[in-house]
Amino acid sequence: MTEDQQTHDDRAVQSGGGPPDGSATENALVFRLRRFFTRDELPPLGTVRHWLLTTNHKDVGILYLVTSLFFLVFGGVLALLMRVELLTPVGDILSATGYNQAVSTHGLIMIFWFLSPFAFGFANYVVPLQIGAKDLAFPRLNSLSYWLYLFSGILLGISYFQGGSFEGGWTMYAPLNVPTYMPNIGSTTTVLALVLFVISVTVSSVNFITTLHRMRAEGLTLFRMPLFTWSILLTVWMMLFAFAALLAALLILSSDRILGTTYFTAEGTPGSLLWTHLFWFFGHPEVYIVFFPALGAMAETFQTFTGRRLVGRKWFIIAMVLVALQSFLVWMHHMFLTSINLQIKTLFMVTTIGISLPFDLMVFSLIYTMVKGRIRFTTPFLFTFGALLVFIIGGITGVFLGAVVLDYQLRGTYWVVAHFHYVMVAGVMALVGGIFYWYPKFTGRMYNKRLGKATFWLFFVGFNLLYFPLFVAWETPRRVFEYPAALTPWHQLATVGGFLLGISFLLVIWNCYWSLWRGEPVDGNPWEYSTTAEWAVPSPPPLENFPGVPSYESGSLAFRDDDTPETSTDGGTTVSNDESGSTAHDHHDSHASPWPFFIGIASLVFFLGLSGITTGGIYPVLTALGVVFGAVSLIGFGLESFSVTEPERGERWPFEGIENGKLGVWVFLASDIVLFGAFIGSYVFLRVGYGWTDWTLVPHDPIPGLINTYILLTSSFCIVLALVAAEKNSRWGLIAGLSTTLLLGIGFLINKGIEWVELFHEGVWLSSNVQASTFFLTTGLHALHVILGLLILLYLIPRAINGSYLNDERPIEYFGLYWHFVDIVWLFLFPLFYII
Amino acid sequence: MSLMHGLTTQMVTVNNQHVHLVLQTNGRTMNDVFSMLFGVFLILGTAVGAVVISYMVYNAYKYRDREGRDGTMTDPLQLGELPQGGGDGKKLAISLAISAIIVIALIGWAYVLLVDVEAGAPASENPIEIKVEGIQFSWQYEYPNGHTTSTLRVPEDRPVTLTVTSGDVFHTFGIPAFDLKADAIPGQTTQRWFRPNETGTYRAQCFELCGSGHSVMESDVIVMEPNEYEQWYANTGADAPAMNNSAAAVSTTKTRIENGGAEASSQRVAITF
Repeated sequence: MTEDQQTHDDRAVQSGGGPPDGSATENALVFRLRRFFTRDELPPLGTVRHWLLTTNHKDVGILYLVTSLFFLVFGGVLALLMRVELLTPVGDILSATGYNQAVSTHGLIMIFWFLSPFAFGFANYVVPLQIGAKDLAFPRLNSLSYWLYLFSGILLGISYFQGGSFEGGWTMYAPLNVPTYMPNIGSTTTVLALVLFVISVTVSSVNFITTLHRMRAEGLTLFRMPLFTWSILLTVWMMLFAFAALLAALLILSSDRILGTTYFTAEGTPGSLLWTHLFWFFGHPEVYIVFFPALGAMAETFQTFTGRRLVGRKWFIIAMVLVALQSFLVWMHHMFLTSINLQIKTLFMVTTIGISLPFDLMVFSLIYTMVKGRIRFTTPFLFTFGALLVFIIGGITGVFLGAVVLDYQLRGTYWVVAHFHYVMVAGVMALVGGIFYWYPKFTGRMYNKRLGKATFWLFFVGFNLLYFPLFVAWETPRRVFEYPAALTPWHQLATVGGFLLGISFLLVIWNCYWSLWRGEPVDGNPWEYSTTAEWAVPSPPPLENFPGVPSYESGSLAFRDDDTPETSTDGGTTVSNDESGSTAHDHHDSHASPWPFFIGIASLVFFLGLSGITTGGIYPVLTALGVVFGAVSLIGFGLESFSVTEPERGERWPFEGIENGKLGVWVFLASDIVLFGAFIGSYVFLRVGYGWTDWTLVPHDPIPGLINTYILLTSSFCIVLALVAAEKNSRWGLIAGLSTTLLLGIGFLINKGIEWVELFHEGVWLSSNVQASTFFLTTGLHALHVILGLLILLYLIPRAINGSYLNDERPIEYFGLYWHFVDIVWLFLFPLFYII
Repeated sequence: MSLMHGLTTQMVTVNNQHVHLVLQTNGRTMNDVFSMLFGVFLILGTAVGAVVISYMVYNAYKYRDREGRDGTMTDPLQLGELPQGGGDGKKLAISLAISAIIVIALIGWAYVLLVDVEAGAPASENPIEIKVEGIQFSWQYEYPNGHTTSTLRVPEDRPVTLTVTSGDVFHTFGIPAFDLKADAIPGQTTQRWFRPNETGTYRAQCFELCGSGHSVMESDVIVMEPNEYEQWYANTGADAPAMNNSAAAVSTTKTRIENGGAEASSQRVAITF
C-alpha cells in the first residue's frame, strides 16, 4: 500500500464514530472478519459461559461494576442496621457484638469491596478505550483480578457463618485483633479475605501500570492523557505500594492468629503501635486511592457538560501527582493521640496541611471551568456537581482535624465520621455520576432521564440529611450504640436521611436495569462536547474496540488502517515492536480463558481451609484441596495458549525498551520490595522498642545462614548462565543452568530445614517469644519466595527439555529477575537476623 | 450547644486572648483553648465554604444552558481532540494563594496553642499525678499513695496530670467535658493534663473500639471542693478497703454489660447466623 492510499484510509473521526463507512470497504471486511472470528472464540453475550470465560476488559469492567453494586447493598444494609440501632440513645436492636460486627464489616465492605472495585469497573471499561488500546496488557490477569475479588468477598460473607465476623472495626487495631480477644474463626476468615483481596489489587495494579505506560496510542503522551485516565494512573501507582504495606500487616496478623506468633502481643515490644504504623501507612494513601477516580470522573463530566476545557489542566495534573507522592508522608496524623513526640506531630501536621492545598487548587480548577460554559444539567453532571459541593464541605471539615489541638478533642467522635463520609461518599456521588455518564456507552441505550434527575435530588437530600446532623452531634463517640440522650433528634434525622440515601441507590440500580430494555437506543456519542476516544466508537464498542489503529499523531484522533506496514514513513516517534509485531496479522487475539475462574475458586477453598486449620475437622482437608486444585489451575493457566499482541506503535514513556511482560515483572517486584521492606521495618521497629542490644538473636550460629548466602549467590550466577545458553541456542546449556539453580535452591531449603528443626528441638518455636516470631516469619516469607521460584523452575525445566525458550528466552529472563530479587532480599535478611 | 455559647463569648475576647497568648507560655489546658479555636475554625470554615459554594452555584446558574442564550461557543470542544487546558491559570493561582494564607494562618495559630498545651502542667501549681489504666471494660485510677479506684476524684482548680496506659487492648481515654483525650496503649504511656474548673460529676469514656463492652466503658469523674478532696484523699491508702472498692466497681460494670445483654436478648436480632 502506498503512502497516498494510507493517508486516504486515515479516517478523521466524526461525531458518531462507529465502524468503517463506505470509504474503506476493504477495511470493513477485515474488521468484520476479525470480529466474527474472535466472537467465535468467546461464547455469546447472553450466556453464563461468556461471563465465566471472558478476559475482555469491557466485560470485566461490567462484572466489577455489578459485583461492587451488590457489595454496596450489603454494606448499606449493615449501615441501616446501625442507623436503626442509633434511633434511640441506648442499645436495643443489635447485640453488642452484633453492632461491632456491623460497624467493622460496613467499613471493610464499603472501602475495600465497594468503592475501589466500583471505580475499577469504570477504569477497566474506559481506560483502554481512552488510551487507544484493544485491551489491557495482560487480559487473563485482569479476569483473574476480578475472580479473586469476587471470591474474597464471598469469603468475607462466609465469615458470618463461622461464629461471627471480625468485630474490631475496619482499622483492626492490635492487639484486639488477635485470638486472645477475638477467638472466633470468622475473624480469621475476614483477615484472610482481605489478604485475597489485596492479591487481587496487586495483580490489577501491575496490569494497569503496564497498560498505561506501554499501550497508549501514538501521539498520546503521558501528559496528554485524559484526566480520568490520569487519575487511574496515579491511583494504581499508589495502590501498588500502599497495598503491599497492608499485605505485610495482614500476613503478620494472619500469622499471629494462625501460627501463634507474637508480633502484636509480646511484652516489652510496641506491637500495638506497630499495627497503627503499618495500617496507616496503607490507610492514608487509601483515602486518595478511593477518591482519585471520582476526581477523574468529575473532571471528565465537568468538561463535557460545560463545553469547556479544564482551567489550569497542567496544574490540576501536577496537584494530583503531588498528592499521590505526599500521601505516603501523612500517615501519623492518625496517631496524634499516641505517645509520639511533638516534633513528629509538627512534621505530620505540616505534611497534612500541605496535602490539602493541592485539593484546593483542583476544586477551584473545576469551578472556574464552569465560567463562560454552556452548562447542561444532565443527570451525570448533577451528580458530579453535587459531589464537588459536598466535597468542599468535607475538605473544610478535614482542615479542623489537621490542627493537632482540635484533633485531640475531635478524634474518636462523630466529627471524624461525618468528615470522612462527606469525602468518601462525595466520591461515590461522583462515580454514580460516572454510571450515568458512561451508561449509554456500556449498553447502547440511554438511561431514564426523568428518573435520573429525581434520583439525584433524593440522593442529595438524603446525603445531607444523613451526614450533616452528624457534625452537629459530633460529641457522640464513634462506634458506640449508647450516646448522650440530648443528641437523639440529630441521630434520628440522620437515620431518616440514611433511608432516603438507601432508596436513591436502589433507584440508580433500578434505572440501569430498566433502561437495558426500555432505554432509548443511542449512537456512539450521545453527549455534545465530549472529547475522549471512548465516544468515537460505537456503543457498546466492538470486541477489539477500534475500527483501526488509533493515533493522535495528527493532533486529533484518527484510525489508521490496520494493515499499514510498520515501516511506513509517517514520522512516527516510536519504534515498532520486535517479536510480536511481525506476526500480529497472522493470528487474532484471544479473549477467553477458564483458568482465572478456577484459580479464584481454588483460592477461596484454600483460604477457607486456612481460616480454621488449627481447629482440625474439615479445614485441613479444604486447605489441601485448595492447594491441589490451585496447582492444577495454575499449570493450566501456564500451558494455555493465549495470544495477545502488543501494539506496534505507541507512546511508551518511560518504558520504551522494556516489553510488557518484563515491565510487569519489574512492577510486581517493586511491590514485593515494599512487602519485605514492611517486614524488615517491623522487625527493626520491634527491636528498637525492645532495646536493640538486649535483643537475642535466634540462630546461635551464623554459619548455616552464611552457607545459604553463598548458595543463593551461586544460584543467581547459574540462572544468568542459563539465560546466556538460551540466547546462544544451547538447549543443554539451558537445561544445565536451570537444573543447577533448582538443585541449589533445594540445597538452600534443606540447609534451612536442618537449622529450623534444630531450633524446634531446643524448644524454640514461632510462638516462643517475639525474637523467634520475627525470625521465623520474616525468613519464612523469604523461604516461601524461594519455594515459589523452585515451582516455577519445575515448570520451566520440562519445557526446556522439550526445546522451548531457545527462540524466545524471555520467560527465562523474567524468572531470572525474580530469582535475583529473592537473593538480594536474603542479603538483607542474613545480617539482620544472624549477625547484627 | 455549649459550643455556640463558648464561641460567642470567646469571639468577643479573641483579641484579648491573643495578647494573652503571646505573654503566657504555658499552663494552658485543652479546656482553655479548644472551644475558642474550634469556634474560630467554625466561623472561618463556614465563611469560606459559603463563599466558595455560593460562587460555584452562582456560576452554574449564570452559565446554564437555556433557550435564547447565544449557543455558539468560541473554540468548542471537539471529539477526538488531544486534551488541553483552558482558561487562565492566574485566577487559579490567586484563589490558591488566598486559601493557602487562610489555612496556614489558622494552622500556625493552632500550632502555637499546641506547643502551649504540650508544655504540661506548671510544676508551681503542684499537679496531682494519677495513673490511668484501661482494662476491658473499665478504667482504673491509681493515686500517688497507691490507692486504686474506678472513680476519678480530683480537686477543683488544681492541675491533674494523667499517665494513661492499657492493661489489655488499645483504648482511648477521654473526658469530653475537659476536652481531654489520650490513647491507652498496652506497654506505652501517654501523658495529658487538665485543670478542672467546676465541681460536679462528669463522665470519662473510651473512644477507641475495644470489644463488646466498648459502648459502656465509662467511669465517673468527680470534681470536689479542694478541702473535701484533701479529706477524702487522707482517708485512702494502699489498704484493703480501697482494693475492695475497685473490685466492686469492676463487677458493677460487668453486671451492667451482662444485664444489658440479658434484658434485651429477647428482642434483639443477632447479627451472627
